[in-house]
Amino acid sequence: MNTRYSDNRALPVRILSILGKVLILGTASIFTAFPFIWMMVSALKTKADILNTEIFFPTVPQWSNITSIIFDSPIPRYIFNSAWVSAVIVALQIVSGAMLAYALVFLKFRTNKMLFAIVMATYMLPVAATYIPSYIILADWKMLDSFRGLIISSTVSIFGIFLLRQGFMQIPKGLVEAARMDGASHWRALWEVVCPMTKASFITFGLMNFISTYNNYMWPSLITKSSEYFLVSQGLRAFFIRDGAYGTEWALVMAASAVVVIPLLVLFAFTQKWFINGIGGETGIKG
Amino acid sequence: MAEIILKNVTKEYENGFQAVKNINLEIKDNEFVILVGPSGCGKSTTLRMIAGLEDISDGDLYLDGKRINDVSPQDRDIAMVFQNYALYPHMTVYQNIAYSLKIKKVPKDEIDKRVKDVAASLGLENLLDRRPGQLSGGQKQRVAMGRAIIRHPKAFLMDEPLSNLDAKLRGQMRVEIADLYRRLNTTFIYVTHDQTEAMTLGTKIVVMKDGEIMQIDNPTNLFNYPNNKFVAGFIGTPTMNFFEGEIEEKGDGLILKTRDGFIPLTAEKAAKVREGGWVGKKVTAGIRPEHVELSDQDSAAFRGEVSVFELLGSNAIIYTQCQDDRIIMNTDQTQYQEHGKEIFLKVKEAKLHLFDPETERTITN
Ligand SMILES: Nc1ncnc2c1ncn2[C@@H]1O[C@H](COP(=O)(O)OP(=O)(O)OP(=O)(O)O)[C@@H](O)[C@H]1O
Ligand SMILES: [Mg+2]
Repeated sequence: MNTRYSDNRALPVRILSILGKVLILGTASIFTAFPFIWMMVSALKTKADILNTEIFFPTVPQWSNITSIIFDSPIPRYIFNSAWVSAVIVALQIVSGAMLAYALVFLKFRTNKMLFAIVMATYMLPVAATYIPSYIILADWKMLDSFRGLIISSTVSIFGIFLLRQGFMQIPKGLVEAARMDGASHWRALWEVVCPMTKASFITFGLMNFISTYNNYMWPSLITKSSEYFLVSQGLRAFFIRDGAYGTEWALVMAASAVVVIPLLVLFAFTQKWFINGIGGETGIKG
Repeated sequence: MAEIILKNVTKEYENGFQAVKNINLEIKDNEFVILVGPSGCGKSTTLRMIAGLEDISDGDLYLDGKRINDVSPQDRDIAMVFQNYALYPHMTVYQNIAYSLKIKKVPKDEIDKRVKDVAASLGLENLLDRRPGQLSGGQKQRVAMGRAIIRHPKAFLMDEPLSNLDAKLRGQMRVEIADLYRRLNTTFIYVTHDQTEAMTLGTKIVVMKDGEIMQIDNPTNLFNYPNNKFVAGFIGTPTMNFFEGEIEEKGDGLILKTRDGFIPLTAEKAAKVREGGWVGKKVTAGIRPEHVELSDQDSAAFRGEVSVFELLGSNAIIYTQCQDDRIIMNTDQTQYQEHGKEIFLKVKEAKLHLFDPETERTITN
């Protein structure tokens, strides 16, 4: 992404344009980041500090908020639930999405275009409209209130299929054909030729869906009742209202939220480079 | 080691377009077959059907006597070299060449030995760790060949493998391919629209046009005995001169009356013409530029003005504008003719070709 066109406008215009960009992006970043920063500092405040609007930073950082969440609350258990359920779901979504995207892009069959249209049409459907039928199916299969139900109901991601399809379309068909001539099955061609060339799409897909599954609230809270199956969002809510203490332990709620976010931050830090590539639509193939 | 037979093979694309129409082709073991023809005539489509990359709409395809219409490409044991090479960009040259063996689960040390052998034979030893992005066009071409030959496949398919190279490299690679063919003793099917490539490489040339086969023959026969006007015009550079004429009796023999004169027919040609009942009728005649000569006014078949004199080294091409036709003559460099000069041309009678003006089929060669 190093294509920079030589800019031959007059210097003052250039400075103004740079200033403008900095101003707009800066403001947008502040608005986006501020709630997050606020949560982080609040996690270290005392109960009194939190409600005091005069101070932004904690007077004395309360590390005990964090340790009590980690060692003395059900939050780590929810994080663990969320993490492994999300990991399994994303793995299944990647396999199913990659297979369908491969078929859509590289296989010739009569209903190819129609299949893609149908897949995309389901994307247009409001998620809430599928809650009731999905609930009934899970109930029939006796999978309500279980990890199995949570996982099975999310094995396919339309967004992921779309993202991978866009990535796959950048690959010359000849490469898949060459792999087939070399004796590779479709399965091998997908994982050994197509996948390495669209790594960015796969990582973006994985990360985005991991985050949204990890944080998902509505659907899991509809199908799970027992706290042992809670994912983080439900867990946080349960934590927030426990013992009827509605909104009294703000500092602990903030600390819990902060702890919950940390795994995602770590994940993001490692995959950032690919993530941005994938969204920008660059496949990371050179030459 | 493979014998490939196409029986009444047709390809109709999803949009209803018939790219290949009912073709029959027998390719014997060890043959070097060239599919040649103008752009869009269905060469690639035919090749891709043999490879298994396109479904066959109708007809049968046999490999060593077995019908393989429904065998997927991975199981056909046929290798293909693509026009744009299609090297895997994320693999090194070594991995590119080794990929098919890895799929076949050949032991690592054997893979290593075979890759090194192939690399040595193609002069790629020093490039094995590079990625395709770091190679020149010629080097990519060699890697693509290496990837194909390492497998000892039943047949090699090549779709215009040299068309992305510059003229000099193309000449060089052509020799290497011919050499490879001699060493490997395998069936080659090679697509090109360059007739020089076709004539120099092939033992059997298939000339196609609009999805149909026009003629299948060896290079010499194709050049000397074309089946029809299309093949006559397609093979040979500069292209054959075509002109109209009428067959007439003269003495015991026949002549072809042209606008500016006449060409006597040899006894052999005259017999064919009589047999076909062409006496007194109009025909299309063809003569190759190398069989046109300067002449005096009395024995001339054409009269015209020199429009271009093109010196090509040891030989020269003279374009002569006649009343209706433009006659091209291929002669040697000493025959310089000034632009605009009026000249007379005759033809070598034995080399005259006559075609049916309607069907364009050959009457006599
Ligand atoms: N997928 C397709 N759908 C419809 N028509 C196609 C398709 N692929 C090729 N064709 C048509 O089929 C005809 C033959 O194509 P083909 O690629 O075999 O030509 P070719 O002889 O290889 O030409 P070239 O020398 O330009 O490569 C062309 O007219 C082309 O437009
Ligand atoms: Mg082609």
